[in-house]
Amino acid sequence: MLFNSLEFFIFLPIVFALYWAIGSKRINQQNLLIAIASYVFYGWWDWRFLFLILFSSLVDYTVGLKLNSQEKPSKRKTYLWISICVNLGFLGFFKYYNFFIDSLVDSFTFFGGELSVNTLNIILPVGISFYTFQTLSYTIDVYNKKLEPTKDFLGFMAFVSFFPQLVAGPIERATNLLPQFHKKREFIYVQAVDGLRQVLWGLFKKVVIADNCAQHANAIFNNYEDYSGSTLLLGAFFFAFQIYGDFSGYSDIAIGISRLFGFNLKRNFAFPYFSRDIAEFWRRWHISLSTWFRDYLYIPLGGSRGGIKMKIRNTFIIFIVSGFWHGANWTFVVWGALNALYFLPLLLLNKNRVNTNLVAEGKYLPTLKELSQMTITFFITLIAWVFFRADNVTVAFSYTINIFTSKLFTIPEIFPFTIIGLLSLFVFIEWLGRSGEYAIEKIDVMKKPIRWSFYMLLIIIIFMFTGEQQEFIYFQF
Amino acid sequence: MKKFLKHIAYGFFFFILVNLIILLKYEYPAYKAIKNRTHKNYLKWNSIQKNTNTYDLIILGSSRVYTGFNPRVIDSGLNLKSFNMGTSAQDIAESYHSLVEILEFQKPKYVALEAYLELSDDVHDYYQIFSNASFFKSSKNKFDLVINGYGNNGVANYCIPLMKFNNYMKQDVISIFSTKPKKTPETNWYKGFLKDTVIITQKQIKTFKPIANFSNTSFNKERFKTYFNKIYELTKAKGIKLIALRTPYPPTRLNLNNNNDEGNFYKNYMSTYKDVEYFDLNTYKTKDFKFKDEDFSDYHHANYWGAQKISQQLIDIIKTNPK
Repeated sequence: MLFNSLEFFIFLPIVFALYWAIGSKRINQQNLLIAIASYVFYGWWDWRFLFLILFSSLVDYTVGLKLNSQEKPSKRKTYLWISICVNLGFLGFFKYYNFFIDSLVDSFTFFGGELSVNTLNIILPVGISFYTFQTLSYTIDVYNKKLEPTKDFLGFMAFVSFFPQLVAGPIERATNLLPQFHKKREFIYVQAVDGLRQVLWGLFKKVVIADNCAQHANAIFNNYEDYSGSTLLLGAFFFAFQIYGDFSGYSDIAIGISRLFGFNLKRNFAFPYFSRDIAEFWRRWHISLSTWFRDYLYIPLGGSRGGIKMKIRNTFIIFIVSGFWHGANWTFVVWGALNALYFLPLLLLNKNRVNTNLVAEGKYLPTLKELSQMTITFFITLIAWVFFRADNVTVAFSYTINIFTSKLFTIPEIFPFTIIGLLSLFVFIEWLGRSGEYAIEKIDVMKKPIRWSFYMLLIIIIFMFTGEQQEFIYFQF
Repeated sequence: MKKFLKHIAYGFFFFILVNLIILLKYEYPAYKAIKNRTHKNYLKWNSIQKNTNTYDLIILGSSRVYTGFNPRVIDSGLNLKSFNMGTSAQDIAESYHSLVEILEFQKPKYVALEAYLELSDDVHDYYQIFSNASFFKSSKNKFDLVINGYGNNGVANYCIPLMKFNNYMKQDVISIFSTKPKKTPETNWYKGFLKDTVIITQKQIKTFKPIANFSNTSFNKERFKTYFNKIYELTKAKGIKLIALRTPYPPTRLNLNNNNDEGNFYKNYMSTYKDVEYFDLNTYKTKDFKFKDEDFSDYHHANYWGAQKISQQLIDIIKTNPK
């Protein structure tokens, strides 16, 4: 079920009404409703994969309890590895099996050998990378004794399958979300209104910004050989806003819907395109994944504590694995490596935590220095996005080279004024609201008529500019 | 909770109000046109529904069809009665349901169907589709078109004017800032054919983009196959000869690149049907029917002179392939 679909517009009010009708005192019944609703939500896409979520929940729940009752380190480690193997095993099979087979066959062919191994016709379960990471975080935290294992299987099921964030995050930590399933959730008017507002903004990002940018990005990327450098640059620009609008829009909707049910999810995006360097960008982009890798991979590997060699190694590992998490394609690996290359100089010069405050805090406009820093960061991110979007690495290189060799300073063949106008409006609103959790959070301080007119205008724009309905990009990850 | 629900109800009320205003703005001219008997779809359906069992040849497709096939030329060349049932942005599902409706009133010998990638893409002009379907006499057919043809999106667009008219609202907003003169509505219709005497300008020719292919359109093969097969079954059951035609493009545009996804797809696909004739009018007897850019009014619509050639091509096709 897509957030921007008719089914969901019917589904959500029903679940919302039932949830609050049950009453906040009946936590178990509310959790049961969430679990059922989440399974319906997911099963709408393909019911067969519900067994996967159920099995994953069962394994991690059991491992959590076993870890609690076991003090022997070797046994505890065995339980941890069972959870890791099951979760990553599913992920590896469904997402990476064909990629590894293809790569193996290609390597043999490259060295003159011949290998005949058949790939499988596997459907990638939507959101598998998200919920496996979420359940893994639970087991690892229990193993590290940062979290008490839950004895409430229903609550745990609801935590793993919580429908607002099941298929595209934010990847919630058990330490943050799980306890919320065990305590009373109150309906708070301000929180619900804030949630709805965030949903509205998320829909605007997805339907107006992402879907409309997608049409132009697809047209340019699919026919990149026909276009000049300026159009190709514009294509990358459209993709940058497509992926941002799509993914951060999804996160906003997920966070907003959760608030309607009395849950607080962690922030996933913090205006990343206003970053002044790549380190800041990565503190602001897909925060739940970055911090997951930081806590469960980078720090266990030694982080940035060791010597230069270790720093370089760990940086490359975390970025490449992060790239690979996105999909079984070498383009994602190169995208990850490219970001590692961008990040490394800052880390080695110890300048990766220079820009930790809000850009132009308390001011309307940035300084010239900040503006140039933001432009450069955005531009290098844009180049990396080409690798993320391209069908293969060869195309990505060819696309990038064509940007710089083929009439970069000419008028683009494609220049949709309406979309550019909408993007300008979007960036303007994001800039004004950059001190909030999301861009229009602070609109609350405005007078009612202005506020309501603004909401109505947003709704009209959403319906008016409903582009070709596209699936959320991150569903495939 | 009460306060929250109250505010939701207010929001919903405003939303309905906005939709009613939009409905009034965009449907009222259509209502007036129907009352004055000038609405193009009304006139078309009125001809079909009133003159029962009159037409021997029905031509289905998009606006490229209603500007391209002139029944006056076709009728005199073939000594039969044809009717052009091309409608703006007609898509393959709409073609099928239009044919279902037409066959309730007519017994044609031939049905010519446009073969054009954008006839079966995932971008729909719901206003045009529903405007066309609003003249169906059969409610079941109308219902099937909305539900089966377009699914939930169809239902949402049918019910929410903000969605249905969004393209027109966008155009209106853009026109506020545009210096281009507004196009006056076409009035020169004959049996569903629009006589358009506009000739494309050199400036327009210079801005041509490559024709539709699998990369630059969201052509939905499965959708096409499903509905084409339905059209095929329907015509076969009624003993009607089905002819598929790829309508021509300005030659400069056609030669912009070598991608011939459209031509190749239809040629290959139609060859799987033994009793369906397929012709690509871009390449059909080029010695006799050579198109030039000036035969078009824009990047893909034939003008009156282009229509003369296209109609002659259809005459030749039917004459040389009578059964």
